Amino acid sequence: MNYREVLKYKRRIVVKIGTSSLSYANGRMNFHSIAKLAYVLSAIRRQGTQVILVSSGAIGVGAGRLGLTKRPQELARKQALAAVGQAELMKIYQKFFEEYNQIVAQVLLTKDVVEIPTRNQHAQSTLIKLIEKDIIPIINENDTIATNEIEFGDNDTLSAIVASLVEADLLVMLSDIDGLYNVDPRSDTHAEMIHSVLEITPELEQLASGAGSSFSTGGMITKISAAKICLKQGIDCLITSGSDPAILFDILTGNEVGTHFVAQKENSIHHA
Amino acid sequence: MGNKKTIVIRVEISTLLGPNGKINPKKMDRLAMVITNLHNSGKHVLVVSSGAIVLGAEKLKLHNLPDNLVDLQATAAVGQAELIRCYQKYFDDYNQIIAQVLLTSDIIEYPQRVENTRNTFNTLLDMSIIPIINENDPVSTSDIEYDDNYPLARIVAGIARAEFIVIKMDLNGKYLIVPAGNYTAQVVDGETELQEKIDSFCESSAKGETTGNMNFPASIGDIVFNN
Repeated sequence: MNYREVLKYKRRIVVKIGTSSLSYANGRMNFHSIAKLAYVLSAIRRQGTQVILVSSGAIGVGAGRLGLTKRPQELARKQALAAVGQAELMKIYQKFFEEYNQIVAQVLLTKDVVEIPTRNQHAQSTLIKLIEKDIIPIINENDTIATNEIEFGDNDTLSAIVASLVEADLLVMLSDIDGLYNVDPRSDTHAEMIHSVLEITPELEQLASGAGSSFSTGGMITKISAAKICLKQGIDCLITSGSDPAILFDILTGNEVGTHFVAQKENSIHHA
Repeated sequence: MGNKKTIVIRVEISTLLGPNGKINPKKMDRLAMVITNLHNSGKHVLVVSSGAIVLGAEKLKLHNLPDNLVDLQATAAVGQAELIRCYQKYFDDYNQIIAQVLLTSDIIEYPQRVENTRNTFNTLLDMSIIPIINENDPVSTSDIEYDDNYPLARIVAGIARAEFIVIKMDLNGKYLIVPAGNYTAQVVDGETELQEKIDSFCESSAKGETTGNMNFPASIGDIVFNN
């Protein structure tokens, strides 16, 4: 059975993009990537698919704005840089999305969105209202007031929470990890990518926690736990490389890229 | 925060709009100049600004402001990004870096969040960055009150332990300053006098002549206007 077939019919998707896909290794912004992301998401939206973007990058952008060469370690400084950088990041997104006449909105969430029912409803209804108006919400954690830096764990978890909140059909996590392999691809040249995962077994989690697969901030482990949240809600989830955002076109045409966590069929289409 | 005096400036979006209902560049420029100058004179300055809904409605080409909560929240999510971009643009002219901080008014019920937010404020101010603060409308659970951000300004003043709130900047020269612990607003005419007034307040407060009471009137209605 070709599990990818179902991805052609996804009508409400959450795309999570990591800092590594938005910036160069030296920490500076990669405007080509951001411009391409804006193009791809605007095009997908125009084809009738509702899109929500979960974007990291505020702290890095803030550091760049202030001319810092190193990311700070201290929490208060990280939060301060996030407050500077989030404003800057939104400006850059606005600029690029405007070229495609696509309106974006900024939504900053804290973990109590899931914990306080009334706040949960407000966030949910605001997000659904935005996507129904053909606006692309750009979501990040509200770092400034977060009680500690790992409130959500990271944006992988945040993106899964958002996908659940809006009852998305699909979550795509773009990062420097192009998928899950049967063995560590850096030590074994015969490593093969696992293209479809039907169930997250303890063996699979063991594989994900192995050395060599945790080189991005979130690493593979947080991606697996995000996938778990999605599968529980009947939401398909896909992990792949964000180096070229056009990969989203491939995903939505059913091409076999990245690792696809396949949701139970009866739940997998919410918005056909 | 050392010995620097802390001032919260409350900006109502209506004071920045021209007759066509759009941001008036001259007023915005003047605001950025006055605020940056206060900062340059050695004060810690925090700005509480409304405007997300107005700018969101403009971006979405709405003829009227939405009349229900969820539409207001969606409009605010679009407009906040516009608002902060607008602030950045004008403060850039004065080489002043700003930061965006979004709070919900119920923050005062969460001591840990208050503490974190205070740390963030202090860090920003120590780094010579001016925080531009607004209500996080998209997730706010209370009714959105368009353009009445005095309650938020008061909360921010409490978190930042500010000595004054400038409650009104109409940019036609009139400013109203409310010192902490005082229910009497001082009416000030002109930017130079605003600067002088704040300087003289700061001096008397440094000499211990003021109470150091951080309480501010609960609503603007409680403030007595002098002059």
